[in-house]
Amino acid sequence: MTEVLRIENLHKSFGANHVLKGIDLVVEKGQAVVLIGASGSGKSTLLRCVNFLETPSDGRVWLDGTLVGHQSNGAMDYRESDLIPIRSHVGMVFQHFNLFPHMTARQNVMEGPRTVLRLSKAECIERGEKYLRKVGLAEKMDAYPSHLSGGQQQRVAIARALAMEPRLMLFDEATSALDPELVGEVLQTMKDLADEGMTMLIVTHELGFAYSVSDKILFLHQGLIHEQGTPDEILVRPSQTRTREFLRGHATFRLPDAEF
Amino acid sequence: MEHTWDFSSILASRDLLLVGLGNTIRLGVLCLVVGLTAGLFVGAARYSRNRLINWPATAFIEVFRNTPALVQIMWFFFAFPIISPFQIDAFTAATLGLSLNTTAFCAEVYRGGIQSIHKGQWEAAKAIGMSYSQQMRRIILPQAIARMIPAFMNRAVELMKMTSLASVIAFGELMHQAKAISTYNFNPIETYTVVALIFFIMIYPMAMVVQRVELHLRRSDQ
Repeated sequence: MTEVLRIENLHKSFGANHVLKGIDLVVEKGQAVVLIGASGSGKSTLLRCVNFLETPSDGRVWLDGTLVGHQSNGAMDYRESDLIPIRSHVGMVFQHFNLFPHMTARQNVMEGPRTVLRLSKAECIERGEKYLRKVGLAEKMDAYPSHLSGGQQQRVAIARALAMEPRLMLFDEATSALDPELVGEVLQTMKDLADEGMTMLIVTHELGFAYSVSDKILFLHQGLIHEQGTPDEILVRPSQTRTREFLRGHATFRLPDAEF
Repeated sequence: MEHTWDFSSILASRDLLLVGLGNTIRLGVLCLVVGLTAGLFVGAARYSRNRLINWPATAFIEVFRNTPALVQIMWFFFAFPIISPFQIDAFTAATLGLSLNTTAFCAEVYRGGIQSIHKGQWEAAKAIGMSYSQQMRRIILPQAIARMIPAFMNRAVELMKMTSLASVIAFGELMHQAKAISTYNFNPIETYTVVALIFFIMIYPMAMVVQRVELHLRRSDQ
């Protein structure tokens, strides 16, 4: 197995607020790793440290076996020129989609290949269409984001990240801002990606989804990985009290096993 | 009171009015161009995190936004030449006053427009690997400028009206010409009526365009 992402002893503070307190994590090629935890546990911050939307306060990050940044006097020094290639190889999907509203769906997806990768116009158009078709939006290529539903917008955002042909995809609560009836289509798109072998690091509150797609689940609590393991180990037979409390809070209401 | 309207003396001095109209337009357009251009740099300076750049820009903006344009024009005409080695004519003083005032205004519009763009737009652009200048050029500015346009157009309308302030330092724009004509012909009623009409005909279409653009942008923002 090849490592796509390795994180060692990652810390992140915002002023006096110590959000991440030493995270170790390895994601291997083709794995889907899910981060769960209460809000404020640091899962989004962890994700944002992977593509350096946040600069880690301490620790090391390797992508594809290469250490990100420069070491100087034992500390890491991150220059924008080092981070740009990292970000272009790591796709990110945001909770609030963040599509570019002045561009059509196709232009949104073409923007990275065009501006960052500097591909030819024909290649950009080809990528735009390929990835919009992949997320099931072949009919909406020329629509502006404001004319799309939340679920469609999020799928365009996924296509926009995929168009960079990233080695790793990050999902930061990709369905949390969606109306309940639109969650399914986005989760299905994500599941299809996982089934195709995309390497993914996912923050989600959808435990059923986490159970069915993930290879590994990490439960974050107060800036540390409190418990980790297979979906069965974490979601069905958690060994830690905190994990059980968290899961109980999420499963207060449960339907009996119905036959559909 | 009886008044018999008589526009013949105005017609006779139409060349004077035309010169005034020309000067009004020249002053207004020049100040707008200077203000829009310089405002971009001052606005960027104010946006800067470097204090040495940020602080002078902020001071400049606050001074020019919080003093009357009339005072600024008078100051550049009467005070500035005494404390500086430059000889300044009425046109230069009026241009300095109004264009610096407009610069301060535009700087705030640029800054406000850019800050009105949600942080998520910067992050999404950054996350696909764009550099700062690419984020600005491709993602932020196209959206921000659309939001700035109504403010700039309103400023253009205001600026055309503000040019009349230059009459106090005897710059030969419309208002100053009118004063001369009315004193010479004893016809203030006709003269100022005509000048008001000229201003109205010049500014009303601009104001209508602003309204249309605002309406259009409000719709397409949705």
